[in-house]
Amino acid sequence: MGIKSFSRARAIHIMLVYTGGCNGCDIEIVNAVLSPRFDAEQYKVFLTWNPREADVLVVTGPVTHLNRKPLEAIYEAIPEPKLVVAAGSCALMGGVYKNIHGDIPSEEIEGPVENVIPVAAKVPGCAVRPQDVLAGVVSLLPTLLNAD
Amino acid sequence: MFKSTILYSVIAVILTVLVCFIISTLLPGIERKYVHARIQQRIGPPVTSPGIMAPIKFLFKENVEVSSPVPGLYKALPIVCFIVVLCVLIALTPYSFAIPALSSLVAIVGFLKVEEICYVLMGALSKSVMSVKMPFPDVVKGAAHLNTTRSFIEDISARRSLRMITYGSFPLYLALFAPVTAARSIFLQDIVQYQHVHGPFLFTISGGIAAIVFFIGYMIVLNEYPFSIIKAKCDVIEGPYMEYAAKYRSIIFITRGFLMFTLGALFSVLFIGIPPNILSPSILINIVVTLIFVLMMGIFSAFTPVFTNRQLLPSILGATLLGILAIVLGLL
Amino acid sequence: MDEKVPRSNIIETEIPLGTVHPAALEPYRVRLFVEDEIVQEAEITIGVNHRGIERIMEGLPVEKANSLTEKICGICSNSHVWNSCRTAEIGLDIEIPERARYIRVIMGELERLHSHFLYLAHGCETVAHETFSMRVFYLREIVMELLAMIGGNRVQYGCSVLGGVRPRCDLDEAKLERLKTDMDKIEEGLNGFAQRFLADSILISRVTGVGVIPQKQAIKLAVTGPTLRATGVARDLRTTMFEYDDFDYNIITQADGDVKSNLLMRVLESFESIKIIRQAIANLPEGSLVNRDWEMFDTDIIESYIEVPRGTLYHSYALESGRVRHCIIRTPSMANIGAMQYACIGDHITDAQLSIVQCDPCFTCTDRAIEIIRR
Repeated sequence: MGIKSFSRARAIHIMLVYTGGCNGCDIEIVNAVLSPRFDAEQYKVFLTWNPREADVLVVTGPVTHLNRKPLEAIYEAIPEPKLVVAAGSCALMGGVYKNIHGDIPSEEIEGPVENVIPVAAKVPGCAVRPQDVLAGVVSLLPTLLNAD
Repeated sequence: MFKSTILYSVIAVILTVLVCFIISTLLPGIERKYVHARIQQRIGPPVTSPGIMAPIKFLFKENVEVSSPVPGLYKALPIVCFIVVLCVLIALTPYSFAIPALSSLVAIVGFLKVEEICYVLMGALSKSVMSVKMPFPDVVKGAAHLNTTRSFIEDISARRSLRMITYGSFPLYLALFAPVTAARSIFLQDIVQYQHVHGPFLFTISGGIAAIVFFIGYMIVLNEYPFSIIKAKCDVIEGPYMEYAAKYRSIIFITRGFLMFTLGALFSVLFIGIPPNILSPSILINIVVTLIFVLMMGIFSAFTPVFTNRQLLPSILGATLLGILAIVLGLL
Repeated sequence: MDEKVPRSNIIETEIPLGTVHPAALEPYRVRLFVEDEIVQEAEITIGVNHRGIERIMEGLPVEKANSLTEKICGICSNSHVWNSCRTAEIGLDIEIPERARYIRVIMGELERLHSHFLYLAHGCETVAHETFSMRVFYLREIVMELLAMIGGNRVQYGCSVLGGVRPRCDLDEAKLERLKTDMDKIEEGLNGFAQRFLADSILISRVTGVGVIPQKQAIKLAVTGPTLRATGVARDLRTTMFEYDDFDYNIITQADGDVKSNLLMRVLESFESIKIIRQAIANLPEGSLVNRDWEMFDTDIIESYIEVPRGTLYHSYALESGRVRHCIIRTPSMANIGAMQYACIGDHITDAQLSIVQCDPCFTCTDRAIEIIRR
């Protein structure tokens, strides 16, 4: 393992972008990283709110119409290598908001996140459990470490 | 003979700086893990993560185009900051006492001022995506005040750092000049020699008060909570540093730890009379002093909220008055 | 207390924050109009997380619609299910078993605890007091575990169904015992927090007199919930709800309407919630959990108001051959947006987000029926 991978494995900055879900996933993720119970910092995962600092972008919510452009702008601001974790069933497949009434999709929802930006890992759950979010970020490690 | 002395001094200075630098990279981690995390009842990150591994990681990131009106200058500023801190540390080593222009308090104050001016420029030149540039239709028909000037959040932090230059860093400079009243000289050499003869300045009344003022000034210059108004998370997010990515961000990270160490070393020179020198065992005292400062700062910042102008002005005014008291006591 | 007037004539610059910002836990945009770092006017733009839940609910069978209301908000999900079921129960004259009513109250009060703790943690985080925020998050974790124990999930744990509660949410002896011991733990932790909070003179001086909403203005803006009670108006819909008839509790009010009284308000209300939960555990009646003995018929528009952690929640719909028609949901944050904009005025920019947070915003609740006009 080179110094590049070594250092990457020891400092992962994640940024959270909420795109209009029900708030449950956001709080669980902030909770996962901030609260002393789960304390993501012991696994070298740091929460940041500056896209220039981030390595991993955690996206929750089904990407509503007004949120599409901000999400793209933030994604573009992150320097390579960057990876996206879609957390929660809304981010994965639009949740209950996207597939209304059988085949008629909702016009409000631009998501799932995959339609907007490339997604590297998917964390299921409604709402996601903090453990799962950490597992999702950790599952990205091999990709992140071997990136240029 | 003369030539070899210079060579010998240069090698000693480089070694000293190198050792100090390596120790300084551990300081952010120590503050985060052993102070903040302990107080908050959690495990916290490994000691090496915030100070060493994060900067190395940023070195290997893509060097993105910064959004700034003057990208060249903006990118140069962290390097200037780093060089300034390096100069302060070199000025503190006993080998540079031979150059009076460098090893005087005036030079050190000047260097620290350059550092502060860099924050103003950084804030003014950074145009991050997080405020005005966020593509969101908020200036639309029906919105309030459609034709105001729109500012980036970094502009506020540039203004705040301008204010901090005018009054915020006053306590630190007053504390720096307190030992001068005892030694009657602004040259570090004389201050150190005076303390070798008369014992550490810290243990006089004037020195004790000045040490407290120095600590407050130390926190203000390092922008640590509660004085972190120029990078308060609740409005300006990271303030002047918003746009730095890749290696520039890594320099920012390194400079912070380095500044922590340098200010600690400055304290031990001015108040205890021990300059950092790799060839003498007294460098351990420098390291211990720095660690004490970092631990105290960590404890203090973990228990305080961020101050707004309402609390900032009285606390800085109080520290300034204490500093004046220390100087007056020293002169008497 | 003097009324604060927006001074639009001396605006120097505008600072937009959002939609993603560390001090906000949900997407919204706030434009602050400032003069010399003092906010003169604020404008909050919502509609960012509009997903059209009411539209989706239209035409769904009422049982399905009830469970969908849970997805309106991740913080007060149980309250939405509760009120949605309550609406249909009022319309269809469904008698709810005593035991189910008690369990609903227990869930409601647990939710109030977790919402208030989130508020405290988030408030402390916004004044950048990380340590207090962490300590409250730690306390909140106990409540989350309890909710997961009863409802089966940490976030979407709604327990109400038409006519009672889900059989999964029944409370057996072991669960009651755990509830009892955890209530003691929470009370002890909260006591410790309150004492430390009040003894911390730096923090108190930081939050006193910030984001003031005078009582007159609060009534004018139709503010609801704890934000209103923090201005001195003793108004709590729990007094009018038949579910709470058996319980003995006080309505807490504070005098000032600033951030400090809002924070204290949440702490004191949490103690009352603990009191209610203890009474419910002690007097939990035996009996069935759900009443299935009812008939579906078409109804006129039914309305139901309940007190949720953040204020007054209003659900209303009509039933037509078992399906939901004309659904309207009005959440507390809708009424409080005016107060949020008002509270910012006259404070430093650093306090602006704090002033917004003090009104307990939940824009995910609020964004539903607003029509977005595409350009």
